[in-house]
Amino acid sequence: MLVFWLGCSNSIPELPISAASAAPAQELTYPIITPLQPNKPAPAAPAAPAAPAAPAAPAAPAAYITVAKEESNQTKATQKPKSKPNLQNSPRLATFPVVIMDNEDNEVIFTKAPERIVAFDSAAVETIFAIGEGDRVVATHDYVSYPPKVNSIKKVGDAFNMDIEAIVNLDPDLVYIFYPTFKEQLKNAGLKVLLIPTIDDDFQKTADLFRMWGSITGAVKEANILASDFEMRVAAIQNMLSPYKSGPTVFQDVGGLWTPGNDTLIGNVFKTLKLQNVAHDVQGYTQFSPEMLIERNPQYIIASHGDSISSDNKFKNLTAVRNGAVITSDDDYLSTSGPRFILGVEGLAKTIYPGLWKR
Amino acid sequence: MTDQTSHTRLNHEKSRKFPWLRLSVGILGAIVCCLVAASVGSVGINPTSTVLIALSRVPIIDVSQTWPESWDTILWKLRFPRVILALIVGASLSVSGATFQGLFRNPLADPYLIGVASGASLGATVVFLTGIPFSYGGISILPIASFTGALIAVSIAYGIAVRSTSTRLTTLILAGVAIGSFSTAIASLLMLKSDPDLRVVLSWIMGGFIKAQWSHSLFLIPYLLPGFIITFAYSRILNTMQLDEEYASSLGVNIERTKKILILVATMMTAAVVSFSGLIGFVGLVAPHVVRLIWHSDFRTLIPMAAIVGGCFLVIADLIARTVLSPGEIPVGIVTALCGAPFFIYLLIRNRQDTT
Repeated sequence: MLVFWLGCSNSIPELPISAASAAPAQELTYPIITPLQPNKPAPAAPAAPAAPAAPAAPAAPAAYITVAKEESNQTKATQKPKSKPNLQNSPRLATFPVVIMDNEDNEVIFTKAPERIVAFDSAAVETIFAIGEGDRVVATHDYVSYPPKVNSIKKVGDAFNMDIEAIVNLDPDLVYIFYPTFKEQLKNAGLKVLLIPTIDDDFQKTADLFRMWGSITGAVKEANILASDFEMRVAAIQNMLSPYKSGPTVFQDVGGLWTPGNDTLIGNVFKTLKLQNVAHDVQGYTQFSPEMLIERNPQYIIASHGDSISSDNKFKNLTAVRNGAVITSDDDYLSTSGPRFILGVEGLAKTIYPGLWKR
Repeated sequence: MTDQTSHTRLNHEKSRKFPWLRLSVGILGAIVCCLVAASVGSVGINPTSTVLIALSRVPIIDVSQTWPESWDTILWKLRFPRVILALIVGASLSVSGATFQGLFRNPLADPYLIGVASGASLGATVVFLTGIPFSYGGISILPIASFTGALIAVSIAYGIAVRSTSTRLTTLILAGVAIGSFSTAIASLLMLKSDPDLRVVLSWIMGGFIKAQWSHSLFLIPYLLPGFIITFAYSRILNTMQLDEEYASSLGVNIERTKKILILVATMMTAAVVSFSGLIGFVGLVAPHVVRLIWHSDFRTLIPMAAIVGGCFLVIADLIARTVLSPGEIPVGIVTALCGAPFFIYLLIRNRQDTT
């Protein structure tokens, strides 16, 4: 499954996003991780001198990943994967027990990797498959559609409901959820539940989630490679944009002029790409005033659910419409903060900064 | 009901004459209301520029442009169409509401009584959630779908009522409630079983004018203008029907035909406006009552004044909806309920003190 993921990342040069101003497909300037080869230092050598110093894990362990100190003499060893940059030397399996802090700061302890995971979250399912542990997923919800293998996995709920009887019947040793509605019910049913804090404010924490799943499933090395790849790619983009003060203005329409503010995952992506969100002063997702859209006149419009702006008579004088800079996208990479999220970020960067990617 | 009836009878004596004065003051008020609403918005355009920009499109007057191009777009393509659409939607909902209240002799009747709203929202939900494009070849599908949904729902309810032999109006209301619950259930099911991002659907259902265009108002006029005229023409008969159906019949009023025509007209008006504005609650219920409480319940006053009051109310409500959380917007239906309900209660209390 790791190969599957890496294959996916290698296909990036085929631009996922199309727009009038989109650049033709090009080679990327930053290093792509070579497929996992146990005896070879894989991710540690970024080619571009300007690239971030180390593609490595952050110096401090991620906030909500801690290791049970009192339960093991091998504390140092268990922390190793997170603190040591040379990941290729880390063991294939994490040293259990692993302790994860949940959203209420309670410890969830794993003495061994869960074998039967109900992963009620698109990003989590994608991540678990990407680190080669997809066999552990026994159920998920209706809207999880990637990777294609999940089609054969049992669905136990949708956006609003969980079939708790069906979940209990599956006898899972971990239920991972992304909203708290059913947390107590699941716990009362005697299930081990994990709900971790949302990462809405900082998409770079996605890498921490990859590592968390690595710790839980034991695929520490694969998760680290995935996370490092993510961080390296983000760093490459940041590095590329670092000489520039601020980029063009942008507006995202997710349908009916609903748009994300700066405190959302997408708002955070805009910040990283130095795009100036014209809806910077709204909270969360809000329906944006059309007259404000005209007044603030963004240079780029990202139409996520079909372009209903270009054909609208009242918006025909917008700079973005005149320049054909209304970006539509056939993929939904940016809708799930999983392993493919970075492809969406890169696609956006390439579309808006085609010149920079040519260097 | 008897209170209202005697009230009608009393006032009937006072108001033989057509209320020209009241009406012209009302129209003047509506114009002022629209101008004020057009000059306020999330983008600050000073009143002088607003007037100049408005005048610049008048053929004879020559005004040199001293404002940014975007202001012209904002006023002529956003605010004016929006204000006008809000005005006529509010007017139509109020007239339909007044008609239903009179027809069913029930003060709780509103334009959505016989399933229009739930039919329309089912139609719109189908478009939103099944991936049908919102517009196809320049024609937007959404209003057509919700209009169709509304008409189907009402036709079924009406078909059931017509076939029963007795108490048609009661049957119609009950059938409307049943059809309404049924289509609401289907719409909810569709929502539950579709993509979890429901913001777009829900904001449509709660009503709003964010998509307002001149073409919407133009489209509505063929439905609304005849609707207003016909309803107003029946205002005397509606007055008589408040007393007693038998009494009205004895005066030579064709009750059955009146019912049919007025139900058809009120439903068409509601269905037409709902398809562009979404479900805006409370206007159709409150505006006629406000007129009754301030003036009186002679339908010759009630119909035109309810149109004016309802129109102005919705214009102001939309003004609040688009400015209170600027640069964001909130559905206007939330504003109409939040502002309308307390005001309505105030009027009820005031009226109670007056009469006791």
